[in-house]
Amino acid sequence: MVVMAESADHELLVRQFNRGDESAFEAIVEQFSDEIALLANRLLGWPGDVEDVTQDTFLAAYLGLKKFRCQCSLRTWLFTITINKCRTYRYKRMLHLQRFSQAARRASSASHRSADSPSMDSEAFEQVRRTVRALPPKYREAVVLKYLEALPTDQVAQILGISKNTLQVRLNRARKCLKLNLADLMESNL
Amino acid sequence: MTQDQIESLLKQADRTAGPPAHVSVNLSALRRRAGRRRTIATAASVAAAAVLIAAIGILSRTTDTLDSPQPQQRIASLEDQVKHLQATTDAALKLIGEVLEDDRNQRRLGALHAQLESIPDPREEIRKDVDKTAFNLVYQADRLYYELNLTGSAVEAYKQVITLFPKNQWADVARERLADIERSRINKSHPKGEPKWKLQNATPSC
Repeated sequence: MVVMAESADHELLVRQFNRGDESAFEAIVEQFSDEIALLANRLLGWPGDVEDVTQDTFLAAYLGLKKFRCQCSLRTWLFTITINKCRTYRYKRMLHLQRFSQAARRASSASHRSADSPSMDSEAFEQVRRTVRALPPKYREAVVLKYLEALPTDQVAQILGISKNTLQVRLNRARKCLKLNLADLMESNL
Repeated sequence: MTQDQIESLLKQADRTAGPPAHVSVNLSALRRRAGRRRTIATAASVAAAAVLIAAIGILSRTTDTLDSPQPQQRIASLEDQVKHLQATTDAALKLIGEVLEDDRNQRRLGALHAQLESIPDPREEIRKDVDKTAFNLVYQADRLYYELNLTGSAVEAYKQVITLFPKNQWADVARERLADIERSRINKSHPKGEPKWKLQNATPSC
């Protein structure tokens, strides 16, 4: 019931924006900016600074909202844009790292050294985050949307543009990978 | 490790990472960027259209400029080829005509040679006619001398044969007759008898 009401509100906002009411977009930004930032933070491996991706996501939404036909929920649509923007961001970052690989290696070793000091728990969770970051993008996206965003399978499949079966396959493989890399950690915790 | 354990671990790790820095979406900057994007998109579309139009124009002009001389050159080239082929064909036909004419001439020459070979030698004919005439004269003279006893006329006839056909065999016969007549005149006693050979049975060699 709540979901349906939310969906109707979002549809109304979209119509208002399409009629030229700029305040409708301000309402959308206010409503979804934190969610988008959180998702981007998780998808990019918890870097903390996700402002660029969030700005790009809302810019794309601003430019494309007139083409939005409300065939899915506004959240799903915005999440799809976020995923695409994160992919682009990662690709650009990869190119940048390739170009300045030596500097990246130095930065990586510095971050490892700084991570030695915290407690065991924070070290363990950092290991989990590193493992998630190390997953292939298509598995990481599925894991983040399914387990961290806690979205239903249908919605995750819709956001990623894949079938439910494909999503299950990706989640299975991601779990196997996580089990393999986090086995020691789980044994010590248990 | 179960699915729930993984989910729990992931959530704890996410929680401990802390929330992202507060994001304040600058709407005015966002609108400016959107305006710039739209302007760039419009300009890009216009530029692409202009480039396309220019390309089409250049292509059509190039095609026009290329089209006009190419057919002429091709036609000229084809005409040259046709002329060359005509010249070659004419030369070949001429050669064939010459060969055929030569063959015809050769055959005609062969036929003429055959015809010429089939024609009897006129000198031989004349020789035969001369021989026949000489024989007739000697025959007439023999009849005058042996059958009609006209010795004077016979001697004249023999002498005529010797005069007209001195190298003929019948001229020799005429000389023998004259010599016989002279011998018979000298002997007087020798009676006139049959000739040593019958002229009637003698035929000229034809």
